[in-house]
Amino acid sequence: MKRKFKLAIPGIALFDILLYIFFSFATENFFSSYNTILILRNSCTLVIASLAMTMAIMVSQIDMSIGSVISTAAVMVALMVNKGIPVIVAIIAAVAMGAAVGAVNGILIAKFKFDFWVVTFSTMSIMAGIALVISGGETIGFQNEFLDWVGNGTLPGGIYWVIIITALITAFMIWVERKTNFGYNMFSIGGSEVVAKNSGINVPLNRFKVYLFSGILSAITGVIVASMTAAGGPTVGSEYGFNAMAAVVIGGTPFVGGKGGMLGTVFGTILLKILASGLSMMGIEPTWQKAITGVIIASLIIIDVLNEKRKVKNGLRRVYHDVEK
Amino acid sequence: MKYNEDRVILRMSGITKRFPGTLALDNVQLVCEKGSVHVLLGENGAGKSTLVKIISGLYSKDEGTEWYDGKEVNFANVGESMDAGIGMIHQELSLLPERSIAQNIFAGRELKNGIMVDNKAMVKKSKELLDRLGLDYNPNTLIKELSIAQQQMVEVAKALSHDVKLLIMDEPTSSLTSKEIAKLFEIIDRLKQQDVAIIYISHRMEEIKQVGDYVTVMRDGQYIDTLDAKTAGMDELIALMVGRKIGNLYNRTYHEPGEIIFETKDLTGLRFRNVNIHVRAGEVVGLSGLVGAGRTELAKAAFGFDPVEKGTVSLFGKTMRHLSPSKCIKAGMGYLSEDRKTEGLLLPMSIEENIVEASLGKFFPNGFLSRGPEKEQGKKYVEELNIATPDSSKAVGELSGGNQQKVVIGKWLATGCKFLIMDEPTRGIDVGAKSEIYKLMDDLVAQGYGILMISSDMQEIIGVSDRVYVMFDGEVSGELERGEIEQQAIMRFAVGGKRGGNEA
Repeated sequence: MKRKFKLAIPGIALFDILLYIFFSFATENFFSSYNTILILRNSCTLVIASLAMTMAIMVSQIDMSIGSVISTAAVMVALMVNKGIPVIVAIIAAVAMGAAVGAVNGILIAKFKFDFWVVTFSTMSIMAGIALVISGGETIGFQNEFLDWVGNGTLPGGIYWVIIITALITAFMIWVERKTNFGYNMFSIGGSEVVAKNSGINVPLNRFKVYLFSGILSAITGVIVASMTAAGGPTVGSEYGFNAMAAVVIGGTPFVGGKGGMLGTVFGTILLKILASGLSMMGIEPTWQKAITGVIIASLIIIDVLNEKRKVKNGLRRVYHDVEK
Repeated sequence: MKYNEDRVILRMSGITKRFPGTLALDNVQLVCEKGSVHVLLGENGAGKSTLVKIISGLYSKDEGTEWYDGKEVNFANVGESMDAGIGMIHQELSLLPERSIAQNIFAGRELKNGIMVDNKAMVKKSKELLDRLGLDYNPNTLIKELSIAQQQMVEVAKALSHDVKLLIMDEPTSSLTSKEIAKLFEIIDRLKQQDVAIIYISHRMEEIKQVGDYVTVMRDGQYIDTLDAKTAGMDELIALMVGRKIGNLYNRTYHEPGEIIFETKDLTGLRFRNVNIHVRAGEVVGLSGLVGAGRTELAKAAFGFDPVEKGTVSLFGKTMRHLSPSKCIKAGMGYLSEDRKTEGLLLPMSIEENIVEASLGKFFPNGFLSRGPEKEQGKKYVEELNIATPDSSKAVGELSGGNQQKVVIGKWLATGCKFLIMDEPTRGIDVGAKSEIYKLMDDLVAQGYGILMISSDMQEIIGVSDRVYVMFDGEVSGELERGEIEQQAIMRFAVGGKRGGNEA
C-alpha cells in the first residue's frame, strides 16, 4: 500500500515545496495563509485548462483551441447574463458550446484523420474570431450574485469556493484517468498507437472523447474566469494555451505522451503560480519574471531528463542481475 | 491435404488483399484444426503477416471468405476478433514501455469492479498468468525495465490473458533464448491439449518439425502448398518457399587470419566487465551467449556509443582514447546494430542517401552535398552487394529485410572501414537472403576484413564463425577455436560453465 502511495505523487510536488520554502525565506510577505490561498486561487483556472491540455498531450496530440474556447465561454456568459437569461442557462449554453467545439475537433481528428495541429489551430482561430464578433471587441462587465459567489465567495476560513470547485473537478478527472477504461486507454494510445490498436482499443473513439472532455473543461474554465472578474473579455483566454502546455510538461507528461498524468499537471500549474507570486514579491519586474520563469522551467526539465536517464541505467543494471541469477 | 472436418475451426479461402501498388495476397487459403499447430512458412514479403492480420481484424480483406467457429465472419477491428477468442502474439514487440506488466497484459481489456478499473485484480491475475508460464516477474515492473526476451514472454502472457480458441504467433521465438523457446514449446503443447488451434509463423526451419502439424507455404502473396509438417523434408520446403534450390546455407571458406585489428583489454561498462577479446583480419568471430548476457552492450561500448568505465579498446594496433562513434569510424570500424530499422537506416530516405550517410565528410569534403557522388556510390554498392532494386533512389523502407541489411553493410563499406561488428545480422531475414548475407561476409573476410558477429541463432554461430567467444553474466566465459565449435560446448559456457571444469 505504501509503495502505491509513493508512486501516485509525482516528483514535481517536491519542487513546489522547495520553491515555496525558498520564497518564504527570500521575501517578507510570501509565507502567510493569505498569500498561500491567493496562489491557489490564482491557479484555479489554469489548473482546469491544463487538465484539458493534459488529456490531449497524453494521447500525443495538442489541443490549441483551449484558449479561444475559454474566451468565447466567458463572453457568452457575460452577454447572456446581461440579457437577463437565467445564469444556469447561460452556463449550460457555454459548456454546450465547449462540447460542440470539442466534438468538431474530435470528429475531424479521430474520424477523418486530419492533422490535430491544423484542426485545433483552425478552431482556435474560428473561436477567437467569434469571441471578438459577439463581444464587439470589448470586455463586457456584468453583475450576478451566483457567479460572484462562484468567483469570489469564501468559506468561513477564508478559503475561496472556486478552490473547492477546482479541487472537485480535479479529483473527478484524476478518477477518470486512473480508474476508468478511458483513462487507461489514454495511456495506451499515447504510449503507442500501434500497440493500442493491436490490443483491440478503439483509438478514434477514445481520441474523440479526449477532445470532447477538453472542450467541456475549457468552457468551464471560461465560466470561472468570467465569474472571478465579473466580466467576459474576448481575449482573456489567449495566454492559456501555451501556459497550459508548460504546466503539463513541467508536471511530467512529455509531448510524446503515454506517461505522467493529471496530478503532475496540477503541481506544474501551482509551480508556475508560486513562481509568479514569489518573483513579484521579490520586487522583480514583470519583464524579467518571464525570463526567469523560462530559465527555471528549462532547468527543471533538464534535471528531470537526467534523472530519468539515471533511472533507466540503474534499471538496466538491476535487470541484468535478475535475469542471470 | 485432408483435414478432420469436425475439428476445423478456421477456414479461409480465396483471400485477396490489395495495397496501393501491390497485390499483397492473391487467392490464398488456410484451414486450421482445433488442437493442432499450423505453420505458415514463406520468405519475407510472402504475405504471412498480412494474412494473419486479416484474421485478427487489423486489416480487412478485399475478396474471399472466412469461416470461423461455424460462422462466416469479417472482423472489423481487433476488439471483435478478441471477443471471438482469437489471440495474437505480434512479431514486433507490442507493449507499452512506460506501463507495468499488469497494465500491459490487460491493456484495452482492463478488469473492472463495477465501473472502476480494478488494478488489484489485474495484478493478481497477471501474477497467476506469469506463474502458469513459469515466469517469476513482479507484475508491477515497468516494461522498459525488462530485457527483450522477458518482454516477449510478457507478450505471450498477454495473448493468453483471455480465453483463446485460436492463437496466432508471428515469429514468437525471434528474440528468445533456447531456454525460453523450450518453455514456449511446452506452453504450445499444453494449449494443444486444451484444443486451442495455433497458427505459427517462423523463419526457423528446425522449429517446423518440432511444433508443427501442418505447414502451409506461401510465396509472393500466393498460396503454394500445404504439407504434413512431420513428414515434409527440409529441402522440399525451402524449394517451395524460395521457388528455387539453394545450396548449403553456410558456405564458408577458411582464410589464414592476419594481424589483430580489434582488441579489448579489461573492458568494463554498463552490463559487462573485464572483457578481453580480439579479432584478426580475415576471420569471422562469433559472440554467443543468452539474451541479456551483455553482448550488445559490449559492442555498443566498444563502438563508443555507450560509456566505458574502465579498460581499453585498440583498433588496428592503436589504443583509442575517449571512444566515440565518429572516432571509431575514422579508425576503420563499423557497427551494424541489432535493430536496423531504427538504428541502422533512415527508412524514408533513398538507398544512395543511406549509403553515404556515415561518410559524408569523405565524399563531400567541402561540406556541400551533391547528387553525383551520391548516385555513384549508390550504384556501386547496389551492384557489388546485389541489392534487389530497380534503382538506387528508391526509399529503403520499401525494401525487404535482407536488402535493407545489405544497404547497412554498404553504408559501412562506403566509410572504408575494415572491421565490422554485426549484431544479429540476419534477424528477421528470410532463408534466401540469409545465405546471401553469409556469402557476403565470407567475401569480406577473404578481402581482409575482420568481423565480430553477435548472434542468438546457434546454427548461425556454428555455421559462420571461425572462432567463438561465449558470454555469460557480463563476462566472457569461454573461447572456442575452429574445430571445437559445437552446440554443447557453447551452451555449457552460455549458462556459466567453465572449460573442463578445473580452470575456475
